[in-house]
Amino acid sequence: MNIQKLNVCMDILKKDLGDGFVASCILTTEDGQVLVATDQANIAEATLLNDATALMRNALKTYPAELGQYYYIDVAGNMAILVIPFGDYQWTITVNKKLVKLGLLLNVVLPAIINAFEDAVVS
Amino acid sequence: MKKDFKLIIDNEGLENQSATDGGNRDELQRWPLFGLSVGSFLQVIAMERQTCMMEVYLDADHWGHFCFVEGELYDAVSGAQGGEKAAMEMISWENVRLNIKQILNTTGLVRRIDKNLMLLLMESTRLRDEVSDGEDQQELDVAEDLEDREVVVDDADRGKLSACLSIMVKDMGDALTAANIVDLAKGKVLASYHAAPEAAEAFLRLTKFLKSAFRDNTQAELGDYLILDLKNQETLVLLMIGEQQWCIVFNNVKCSLGLLRNVVMPKVIRTYNEMQ
Repeated sequence: MNIQKLNVCMDILKKDLGDGFVASCILTTEDGQVLVATDQANIAEATLLNDATALMRNALKTYPAELGQYYYIDVAGNMAILVIPFGDYQWTITVNKKLVKLGLLLNVVLPAIINAFEDAVVS
Repeated sequence: MKKDFKLIIDNEGLENQSATDGGNRDELQRWPLFGLSVGSFLQVIAMERQTCMMEVYLDADHWGHFCFVEGELYDAVSGAQGGEKAAMEMISWENVRLNIKQILNTTGLVRRIDKNLMLLLMESTRLRDEVSDGEDQQELDVAEDLEDREVVVDDADRGKLSACLSIMVKDMGDALTAANIVDLAKGKVLASYHAAPEAAEAFLRLTKFLKSAFRDNTQAELGDYLILDLKNQETLVLLMIGEQQWCIVFNNVKCSLGLLRNVVMPKVIRTYNEMQ
């Protein structure tokens, strides 16, 4: 894990999302400890989403299918959460969905930050 | 043309038989399937995109058949009636016996029904409801068991949701991998397509977990949908629509997420609302 590259990931994210960026948090999946978090990040929420990912993986076995690169949760009101589980880490990103279109988030921002995240994790 | 329909019972001598040929009504053995509603069976045939003839027998004076070509309802014949009228009449029959025949030769088969099967089923349900409204109300008034009423409502809802899934199957084609609709409060599977009940239960648990996690730990509430990227170019979309949870797994190369969200689902939801 390269902390500097991880911070670069955050910078890319903030730049790409602009005003649509709300908060972000990267934690380890094994113990749910936070590695990097922005000011407004909801740590409790990010930790619970770590458990949610495990539930999803189990639920998907019933189809059977496997979780891919991300999942997106619509939240009532203006917010939405993008979660990127990768190996032993999970990146949670909260966005203002009124300011960030879903298509832009999934097709433009996501590929860029996933590459940067993977690079930071394997470094 | 598909020739592997497993429910085909009687294929003898069909090689040269025209699709419009009625058949012998004297032998009850000719209609070996029973205990199934006409509407349910029609939906299965449409969903499986079969080319076949479904024969329906109510009694010696009431019998007929539906003709399907690759899942599209082409024609129906009942006594002197044909086309849509015959179809509507046979859909309303209850306690019928059925038989399925494969159509090997579609020559001479003229399409006399243009209306979508789902619309026919909806129209039939509406007409039946109108006719039995008075009787039903009286029955409900004297019903002592509340659960009996719930079962009636459930069955009606299941039929509508199955119709919605059929529209989805038709629109998405082989891009649709699996789908199910669950009653959020009761945890009952209301309709499904290629999905095991365990899958519905597992995702119901996930939704409940997320709802309580959001409620207890944040000031926010879970919204209307979740999107899960899956391996092998598949996507799972979980939609919370009123009291129901819709779980849809599809190939995201054959059908984009945008197409599902902006075209298919609005159409399905619109259809569901129109059936209310």
